Parts: sequence; C-alpha cells; structure tokens
Amino acid sequence: MCAITDGLSLAPERVLVIPCSGIGKAMGTISREATYSVVEDLRPEVADTLCLSLLVMGDEAAHARVQRVPCVTIDGCKSECARKNVELAGGTVAERVQVMEVLKRHRGLKPKTVSELDEDGWELAGFVAEEAARAVDRTIASVARKEVAK
Amino acid sequence: MSQTDAGELKVGVISCSGEELVEGTVSRLATRLVLEKLQAGRTVTLCLPLFLAGGEGERAFARVHSTIAVDGCEKRCAARATALYSAQPASEVVVSEIADGRWENLGTRRKLSADGQRLVEAVAEEISVRVDDLLGHRTADGEASGSAESSETVEETVCACQTGGVHVGTIRIGEETVSLVALGPILDLVRRAIGPEVDDEWRKRELLRQVMIYNSVPPEREAVYAQALWDAYSRGQSDGRVKG
Repeated sequence: MCAITDGLSLAPERVLVIPCSGIGKAMGTISREATYSVVEDLRPEVADTLCLSLLVMGDEAAHARVQRVPCVTIDGCKSECARKNVELAGGTVAERVQVMEVLKRHRGLKPKTVSELDEDGWELAGFVAEEAARAVDRTIASVARKEVAK
Repeated sequence: MSQTDAGELKVGVISCSGEELVEGTVSRLATRLVLEKLQAGRTVTLCLPLFLAGGEGERAFARVHSTIAVDGCEKRCAARATALYSAQPASEVVVSEIADGRWENLGTRRKLSADGQRLVEAVAEEISVRVDDLLGHRTADGEASGSAESSETVEETVCACQTGGVHVGTIRIGEETVSLVALGPILDLVRRAIGPEVDDEWRKRELLRQVMIYNSVPPEREAVYAQALWDAYSRGQSDGRVKG
C-alpha cells in the first residue's frame, strides 16, 4: 500500500511515471522525454520512474514496487506497452496518458525524428509532460482521500 | 526501401532502453544509430515491452530473426526477456561492460555528455560488428557477403546464420516475385489462429501485419501486398513457395 499522505513532501514513496520508451517511432521518444520532465522538473518530489524492461524481464523488486505504488503510464501508441506491462506485473495504473491522444489536441504538430526530437517533438513532449504531471497530482490527491477516509 | 529489398535477411536489434540509468539511454541511442546509419536496411528492431504486451507475432521475433540484445547494465533485461519470451539472442552487448570505467562522466539519462556520445558510438560500432558477424560484411556495392544469401538467389531458403536459419519464402505480388522473410511460418501462424475474433477479414489483416513485422512494405503498396498474401493463403500456400 502506498504511504503517500498528502500532496507533496510528506510522500515517502513517489508515484511511478512509466513510459513505453518505444524505439521505433517519435512517439516513444516523446513518452520518455515527457517522463523525465515530470520526474526531474515538474514533480521531482513526488514522482519517480522505473525501467519498464525490469517489469518485462520479471524482476521481483520491480514487480513489488509497482504493486506498492500507484503508477501513471505514458504510451506512445495503441499497443499501450507501458500500461499492459504494469498491469501484468500486478501494478495499479492510476492514470494513463496516451501521446497520440495529446497529439489530437495539438494537430498542428508533426514530430518526426526518433533519436533526437525535432522542435515539434519537444513541444508535444512538453504537453504530454504537463498532462502526466496533472495525472500525478490527481493520483496523490486520490490516495490522500482514501487515507483520510480510513 | 525498394521492392527487391523486401526479403533481405535482417538482424533484429533489441534494446533495453532502461529509463532509470544513463546506460539505458546509451543502449537506445546506439541501437538507433545502427538502425539508421551503420547497418541501415540490414537491421530491424522491436520494442522490448511488446514481448508481453503484444501477441504471438511479436514473440516470434527472435525465432525468425537472429537477434542482438543491447543492455545498459548487468541485469541484462533485453537479453533475458528475449530468451524468455522468444528465443535466445544470437549475441549480447552490455553497455556497462563496454564502458568499463573508460569514461568518467557519461552525462545524465536525459542529456549525454561528450563522453556519453562517444560511448554511444563505441557501442553502436560493437553492435555493427556483431551484425557483420551474422550477415557477412557489406561489400562496396552494398551487398552482403558471407553466410547469408541475398534475396535474388533465394527461392526457398533456410539461411545458414548462427541461430539455425531464417525462413525466406517467395510470393507473386503484382508483376513481381518478392522474397519475404518468414512467409511460410506467417501463413501457418494465421492458419492456426483460433478465437472469437478470427474471421476472413481478421486473417487478411493479420497476414499483412505479421509480414510488416519482418519485412519492409512500402506504404503505398500495403493493399496490394494484403491481397497477394490473402490469395496465397486462400490457395493453401504454406511453405513459402510460389504457386498459381
């Protein structure tokens, strides 16, 4: 059970933001960069990330962590690898962010490059990060409400 | 990529892309460098998490391709997951072993330093050498030499690569005969598919989807490929030979 008790610094275990990091298309890189933006810039006190490949490989510690802490997943495509792998590991996906859905709200953007994001890619990564940060906030608030209700 | 390239043998490169460590970023960028530049056209990749999130087609990846697993750290998630869900990788590259303390500051997982970039290049070079080991060296005119046969000479081939062979079948698409990696296994896989969603339309879509995992299909020719695959499937083709 996650021991997050309020919105910010009292949280002993941070919400996990887990991207798909898909390697074939720009959307995967955007999911990854957005995650770093959340855990290092926007919500560093309350959010952290985890290697998705650890879950794929069946790492026990990683499985235990996603089972203990609520997760926000960021997926680049409809395969939803991040969400599915967290759920298959027994974790709770509190909120999921889909890069393609965010892109639909910013139709002018056309990210193309994968290794190094182009200008549109970085802009979209920023929008995805903001959405994921709000998802982290909602997750923390939800956990806090449940703690209070106990 | 041209039509005649569609059936060339390709090595699968699977990166851990570990998000927590700078070495994960190195594994990812080195893999992309190989795919885009050093071994462009001779390598393909698959997102590692698709082994679990995807279907049987994704899990067949390493059974069809000789694969090189590229891992950031000694946990070797890419190598172990590939072996667990698909097949033993033909080769493994571990970033931390190549780094081996030679570079003090690799930068961060978001932004590599100059040393980090140099490590990316070193890892990519190592992957590229392993690709050459599997496919043979690329000659001056771009053709591979060595253990693998080029698509022009392949009719029905189990190629002599190190993992026991990659099946390449041929199919008539329009006016051309095209070689496709894994054609026979794909036809058989779709033929064996069962489930409430499986009908002719599903099989037709799945044939193309599976072929596109292992081969380059020009976007403007997807419909032609889909029809040709369906025709081959409907004729009962299962062994990758041209019929009809």
